Amino acid sequence: MSYVYSSSPHIKSPRTTRSIMIDVCIALLPACLAGVILMFTANAAFPMLGALSLMHLVICCVTSVAAEWVFLLCCKKPFKQILAEFDFSSLVTGLLIGMNLYPTSKWYVGILASIFAVVVVKMLFGGTGKNLVNPAIAGRVFAFIAFGAAFGGAMSYVNPNTNSPMVFTSPISGGKVEGFDASGAVTGATPLQVLMGSAGTGATNTLSNLDLFLGTGVAGCIGETCKLALIVGGIYLVVRGVLNFRWPLVYIATTGVVSVLIAWISGCYNSEGVFIPELMGTKFAQAWEVFLPSILSGGLILGAIFMATDYVTTPNTKVGNYVYFVFLGILTAVLRKAVKGEAVSFAILLGNLVVPLIDMYIRRKPFGYVKPQKQRKAKPADEAVVAKEGD
Amino acid sequence: MKTFKGGFHVPDHKDLTASAAIEQMPLVTDYYVSLSQHIGKPAQPVVNVGDQVVEGQLIAQASSAISANVHSPVCGDVVEVVKRKNAQGVLVDTIHIRSNGRQDRQTLPALTDPTPQQIVERVAEAGIVGMGGAGFPTAVKLQPKDPVDSLVINAAECEPYLNCDNRLLLERTEQFLQGVRLLAKAIGVSNVYIGIEENKQQAYEKLLQQPHVIADTKEALASKQQDDIVVVQLKAKYPQGAEKTLIKACLNREVPVGGLPAAVGCIVDNVGTAYAVYDAVVNGVPLYKRLMTVSGGGINDPKNLEVAVGTPISAIVELCGGLKEDTVKLVSGGPMMGFSLMNTDVATTKTDSGFLALTDKEASSVLPTPCINCGRCASVCPMRLMPMYIDFYTTVGDTENAVKYGALNCFECGTCAYVCPAKRPIVQSVRLTKIKAKEKK
Repeated sequence: MSYVYSSSPHIKSPRTTRSIMIDVCIALLPACLAGVILMFTANAAFPMLGALSLMHLVICCVTSVAAEWVFLLCCKKPFKQILAEFDFSSLVTGLLIGMNLYPTSKWYVGILASIFAVVVVKMLFGGTGKNLVNPAIAGRVFAFIAFGAAFGGAMSYVNPNTNSPMVFTSPISGGKVEGFDASGAVTGATPLQVLMGSAGTGATNTLSNLDLFLGTGVAGCIGETCKLALIVGGIYLVVRGVLNFRWPLVYIATTGVVSVLIAWISGCYNSEGVFIPELMGTKFAQAWEVFLPSILSGGLILGAIFMATDYVTTPNTKVGNYVYFVFLGILTAVLRKAVKGEAVSFAILLGNLVVPLIDMYIRRKPFGYVKPQKQRKAKPADEAVVAKEGD
Repeated sequence: MKTFKGGFHVPDHKDLTASAAIEQMPLVTDYYVSLSQHIGKPAQPVVNVGDQVVEGQLIAQASSAISANVHSPVCGDVVEVVKRKNAQGVLVDTIHIRSNGRQDRQTLPALTDPTPQQIVERVAEAGIVGMGGAGFPTAVKLQPKDPVDSLVINAAECEPYLNCDNRLLLERTEQFLQGVRLLAKAIGVSNVYIGIEENKQQAYEKLLQQPHVIADTKEALASKQQDDIVVVQLKAKYPQGAEKTLIKACLNREVPVGGLPAAVGCIVDNVGTAYAVYDAVVNGVPLYKRLMTVSGGGINDPKNLEVAVGTPISAIVELCGGLKEDTVKLVSGGPMMGFSLMNTDVATTKTDSGFLALTDKEASSVLPTPCINCGRCASVCPMRLMPMYIDFYTTVGDTENAVKYGALNCFECGTCAYVCPAKRPIVQSVRLTKIKAKEKK
C-alpha cells in the first residue's frame, strides 16, 4: 500500500477556483433573468427584444467556452484534460459579455467580443489568473470601439402588428426606453445627464429612482438595468465568502460623492461661465439630488460588483484595494461628466492597468516589522570604518 | 476574546478523541530511539552494542550547547546503532533497543524545593525539549540572553485532530500546574499566562478551579497575587498556538522580524514540556515518554496514548485497530504542520504530538491550478506576508524576490495553503526558497 507523500498542510479547504467561478455564475443569474424579463416587457408591441437578449446571453456563453477549448486544443492539450481542468472562468466571461450587450446589438458582436476577450485578453496572456485586464470589460470596450452602431445601434424590423418598418435605436444606457417606435432615432437622456446639466437644454428626466433601481422602463445593456437583481447576486457572493462587501461599496459611494461634488461645482457657474460663490450654499443641497441617480444609472453596479472586483485584476493589499476602488470611483464620475457615456468600462479598464503599479508601491508590513532606522544610522559609520582600514 | 490578526478557523475534528482518556501504550519488542529528536547537534551515544540498559538510563549525551540527552525508553539490550529514516524522511543515527520484558527503572533523585539553577540543570539532565513540535532544548530556552518578564504556556493546541494537550490539562491538571510553577521559578518571573483556545472549555474550567489560578478578566487581574497564574481564553483559530501569535494574543507584544520571544521579554513553553519538567524535577523521571493523539478518519479506534519514545508507528496503529481501507495519507504530527509518512515503519520521538491516518475525503489531493490572485493567502497570513508572491517567484526560480516578500519570515503554518482555492503548494515553495537562500549564503 502506498500513501500520498507531500508537503504540509495535509488538509485543504473545500474551496476551489471552480467552485468560486460557479458561485459567480449563480450570482449573475438573477440579473440575467431580470434583464431578459425586463426586455420582454419593455415594449408590449415588440417582445422580441427579450428573445434577442436571451440569444445574446446564450451566444456569448457558448462562444466564450468554445473559444477557450479550441485555443487549448490548438495548444495540443488533450480534450479529457481540458474538461477536467475546466474552471468555469470562461463561462463567467461569456455571461458578463452577454450582459454587457444591448438587445439591439448585432448578433455577431457578442461572438467577436467573446473571442477577443477569451483568446486575446486571457489565453494569450497565459490563461486564468494571468490576464492583465478583466476579459469581459475588455470585450465590452472592444465591441464599443470596433462596432459602434452595430454594438448599440439601430436595427430595422417590420412591426408584426402594423406591418410597417420599424427602426430601433438603443438610447443611451440608463435612459428611458423610448426609441422603440416607428419615428426612428430618438435618443433619450439619462436622469443623471439631465440633473448634471450635460444632456442639453430642454431634456427632462422621466425616470424615478425606483425605476432605475428595478430597471422598469430603463434602457441599457441586458444585465445592467435591474439593480435589485445585481445586488441580490452580490449579497449571495458576500454570503459565500467570494466577495468582500467593502470594495463594491467603496467604489459606488466614491462615484456618488464625486458626482455630487462635480454637480455642485458646475452648478455654481452661470450661463456665461462665471463662477458665482454666492450660489455655493444653495447648490450644495441641490447637488445631492444627483447622488442616487448617479449610483443607479448605467453599468456602475454591474461593474462594481462583478467586474471591478475580479480577483485577478485587483490589488493584493487592503490599502491597495482602497486606493484602487477610490480611484475607480473618481475616474467613473469624471468620465461620466467628460465623455457622457461608457464611463464605467473605461474606468475599470484603466484601473486594471494601474493595479500592477499599486501593487509595486503598496506592500504590507510584516508581523513584527521594525523600521530600518538603526541600519541607516549604522551605514555611514560602517563605511567610515572601512575607509579607515583602507587607509 | 483575545486573538491575533489573520488566521483561519480550520475545522478541528477534535471530537474524534476529545473524550478519550489517556491510555498507556503496552510494551513492544523493538524500540528505535533517534539521536536527533531536537534542534541542534545529534546526541552522542554512551552505550555500546550488546550493552544491557534499563528504562530511564542515559544512552546518549548532549554533544554541544544546543543538544539534548536521550534516555532509554525500555529495559533491554542495545542491538545496533544504525541510520534510520525519521518522520521527516531524513536518515539519522538511531539506537535500536530490544526489550527483555523486565520493568527495571532508573530515575534521578527527586528534588524538593529546588533552586532555579537546580531546575535548569535537571531539565538539561532529563533531556527535555520543546514538545510542541520544534524540539528546541528547554534548558537553553530557560537561560535567555535578554531580560524576561513573562512566561507563556502554550495550551492553544490549534492543530486540528490533536487532543493530547487537552487530555493532559484535564487528567493531570495539578502536576501540569506544578510544572508551570517550576518553569516560572527557573526563569524567575511572576507573570505567568496560560493561553488556551475556547474549544477546550472543559480544560479551561478545570484549570480555573485550581488554587491560585485566575481568569483573564479585569476584576481578577486587579486582585492578582504574586504566584497567581492567569489563564487566557483565546479564540479558536489556526495558528493560535504559534509562539508569535500566542504572545500577540496574550500580551499584545509583537516579536520583531527574525527575533525570538525573549526579545519582547517572553518565554513560551508547551503544555507537554511543563508536564515533563514536573516529572523530571518532582519524580526524577527523564523524558522518554510523551502523550500522543492517534486519530484521523483512517484509524479504526482513535486514542490518546502515552507512548515511549522510539515506539514504531506500526505497533501504535495495531493497538488502535489498524488502518481503514480508504486511508490515503499518513501524517506524523498535526495535519497543518506535520510530516507525511511513506509507511508506518517510523519510530516516535519526543516531539511527536500525534499520528494521523487521513482518508481521501480529509486529505485533499486536488492538483494545483494557476493562482487567481484572490488574496485569501495574504488575508490569513499571521505574519502578514504576501504568500502569492513567494509562491510565484519561487515557481519562476527567482529566490531573491521570494525572499524580499518575506519567505524567510514564514514559519510554515500552512494557513495560506489551506485556504488557497487554486491549491497552490505555497508551503513547499517557502521551504524551497529557504533551502535555496541558505545555499546562496
